[in-house]
Amino acid sequence: MNLAATGMAAVVAIGLVTALLAAVVPARSAVVGVGTAVTGAAAVVAGAAALAGGSFSVVLPEVLPLSGVALTLDPLGGLFVAVTGGVAVAAGIYAMSYVDSLDLRTRGVQVALPLFVVAMALVPAAANVSTLLVCWELMALASLVLVVAEHRRGPRVASAGRWYAVMTHLGFVSVLIGLMVFVAHAPDDSFAALREAGGRLSPAVAGVVFVATLAGFTSKAGIVPLHAWLPRAHPEAPSHVSALMSAAMVNLGVYGVVRVGVDLLGGGTAWWWLLVLALGAVSAVYGILQAAMSSDLKRLLGQSTTENMGLVLVGIGAAGLFASSGEHTLAALALTAALLHVVGHAAFKTLLFLAAGSVLHATGSRDLDALGGLRPVMPVTTAAFGLGALAASALPPGTAFVSEWLLLQALIHGLPAGGVAAAIAMPVAVAAVALTAGLAVATFVKAFGVGFLAKPRSGAAADAHESPFTMLAGMGVAAVVCVVLALWPAGVLPAVQAAAGGAAVSGDVTLRLSQATGALSPLLLTLGLLAAVVVVAGVVRAAVARRARREARLWDCGGGPMSARMEYTATSFAEPLQRVFDDVVQPELDVDVSHHQESRYLVQAVEYRRKVPDRIERRLYEPVLNAITAWGGAGRRLASGSVHRYLGYGFYVVCGALILLAVTR
Amino acid sequence: MLSLWRKIRRTGRVAEPPPPLPEGERPERAALLGGSVQIRHVDAGSCNGCEIEIGSAFGPVHDGERYGARLVASPRHADALLVTGVVTRNMAEPLRRTFDAVPAPKLVVAVGDCARNCGVFAGAYGVAGAVRDVVPVDVEIHGCPPRPEAIVEGLRKLTGR
Repeated sequence: MNLAATGMAAVVAIGLVTALLAAVVPARSAVVGVGTAVTGAAAVVAGAAALAGGSFSVVLPEVLPLSGVALTLDPLGGLFVAVTGGVAVAAGIYAMSYVDSLDLRTRGVQVALPLFVVAMALVPAAANVSTLLVCWELMALASLVLVVAEHRRGPRVASAGRWYAVMTHLGFVSVLIGLMVFVAHAPDDSFAALREAGGRLSPAVAGVVFVATLAGFTSKAGIVPLHAWLPRAHPEAPSHVSALMSAAMVNLGVYGVVRVGVDLLGGGTAWWWLLVLALGAVSAVYGILQAAMSSDLKRLLGQSTTENMGLVLVGIGAAGLFASSGEHTLAALALTAALLHVVGHAAFKTLLFLAAGSVLHATGSRDLDALGGLRPVMPVTTAAFGLGALAASALPPGTAFVSEWLLLQALIHGLPAGGVAAAIAMPVAVAAVALTAGLAVATFVKAFGVGFLAKPRSGAAADAHESPFTMLAGMGVAAVVCVVLALWPAGVLPAVQAAAGGAAVSGDVTLRLSQATGALSPLLLTLGLLAAVVVVAGVVRAAVARRARREARLWDCGGGPMSARMEYTATSFAEPLQRVFDDVVQPELDVDVSHHQESRYLVQAVEYRRKVPDRIERRLYEPVLNAITAWGGAGRRLASGSVHRYLGYGFYVVCGALILLAVTR
Repeated sequence: MLSLWRKIRRTGRVAEPPPPLPEGERPERAALLGGSVQIRHVDAGSCNGCEIEIGSAFGPVHDGERYGARLVASPRHADALLVTGVVTRNMAEPLRRTFDAVPAPKLVVAVGDCARNCGVFAGAYGVAGAVRDVVPVDVEIHGCPPRPEAIVEGLRKLTGR
């Protein structure tokens, strides 16, 4: 047994023991927190060992009937296992006191957390279709239990749970159909056999398999148009679960696309990847636009997940497109960028969700319009969120900058490669990535500035307090990873390249990205930036010191102390963007002016309401839901409550079946 | 567009010829400003008569800006305050704060009879006093309301041009 195998065995064993302990031990939250963190650490070890080349393979035929459980860990799977483990470490440490403070101590919820982590770690290690689907379903069910954990808080949680349950199972059905069609053309359901058969599939069958699995996997990744569950479920889940879902679970959708499309089906044709590229670009722009309009902190983060997964899909689509036109180096570069973005996104999204949970824990509110002024009372959380916001905004000393920059490089260098399709798709993709990066800056400036700085906008925000130590430690783990990824991406780049190589190899291609590592030195960039800041600050200070200084009151138009009502709110900050993208988001505005009774000319109050509905959801989901409701109404007329009628139905159906049998025999 | 140009050309220059430099003492600190005075206008409780005349003083006919005086949008940008009206109770503190917000060296011009000695509102409820009672005044301009020529004359005492 090598290190990877030992690590995976430890993941399963520790996870299951933790789940068992959670069911029986009275001090559940500490046990579950520690157990989850240790499980995550084991997953990190296993993933890292696999990335370093120590892959393993094991078949346990007696665990599942018919095909048995088969596990293997190659570099691609190892990357996702390691990422999942890293998120679980931070979330586990965080959960120890977060769970104590909110009413999340029920047995079911506590048991589900380690099971969720184990299932997520097993999905990328699955080596046959049955194992993959079983782990996929276990992951969906465990996360569903966790999403509805706080169902007592209001009907929105239950509604989010319903959305999530339905969407995730529709996605599962789609994956199931795709993989069953695939397996039907292979000797058995192991990935090795599928890989063998993948090259021999007719284009039509391969296309069906790819589109069906793409639909299922992208629904898990929250890609437009199957994203509707994500901005509902992620905010309503407890924050450490939000972090696990948003930073680890959505990645597995990406993993599925890469595994099936690139690895098992062996690359396929250009239109597949143009589809992926288009889905990714639309998701990225649409997700961040929705996030920019959002005034709910966790919803904003959820929508930003859609954006980031969109960017990852842009990279994967570009990689597939390059590979199908024979540009394997560029393909590897694009895939490396995409996978690096997966890693970076996991780090900063964990940090952001945990910090948002800390805010929720301290103030009881996620509404940005009711927050503000948290910097003096919650300095560590504010610093953590600020770091996460910087990491998410694709600006030079940030984590997302490295991967988005690589992605842009790949897309720009991709122009001469490929034919007409690439010549049209690449500039559009570059524009989409650039627009996304710009909007992300605006979004995170809003989230950080409105949520944490200035004056508190509500009593709850004014009375906030810093979170307990373990929550801060959980954030600290994620923050350290963010900083390392931002300043020293060369440290993880070889691992990511190994994973990309494991997937992109469809021939004997050497994946050396000398141009990428050579030109990319964010550490120097950051040092230069810091030096520039220090120099400018020094010059300004020197210039100021020579002149007489006078303490002066802040100019507030002489009217008296500035109140929190004078501040920008999240809504007002987003208003210019909302105007620019009016045609896309189509906000619903409502202004109510009420007058004094004595005179119509005296205004008593002005009420402004703005709602930014999800247009895609409205156009796509509402007709379907209405049709289903109509069917339900029609069906209800058949069930009148009369026993005689039901007996009649049974009688007629049996008669009909007999007649059918008699006729067809 | 063309008609606008035509109109400008046909109208020509409407500014009055500049009157001779006004007599009377010039505040000492005004000399420090070097002939360019940025002015923030504060309405401390005026009936808006003075405001109309100030608007006229900076209009095309009297054109106060050609003497170096200019109205600005914040006391932080200003060298001088142009205060109109009696100082009402509600405006006493804001006027004091506005005065504090002006960087030194700073000057105050009281425009109109109300600003000088409360005018017809003297002794009324809600009147805190004349401008002089709240902040130090350097130049006073007579009239209810003062004529634009008088306002320009008062401002030229600051600019010295």
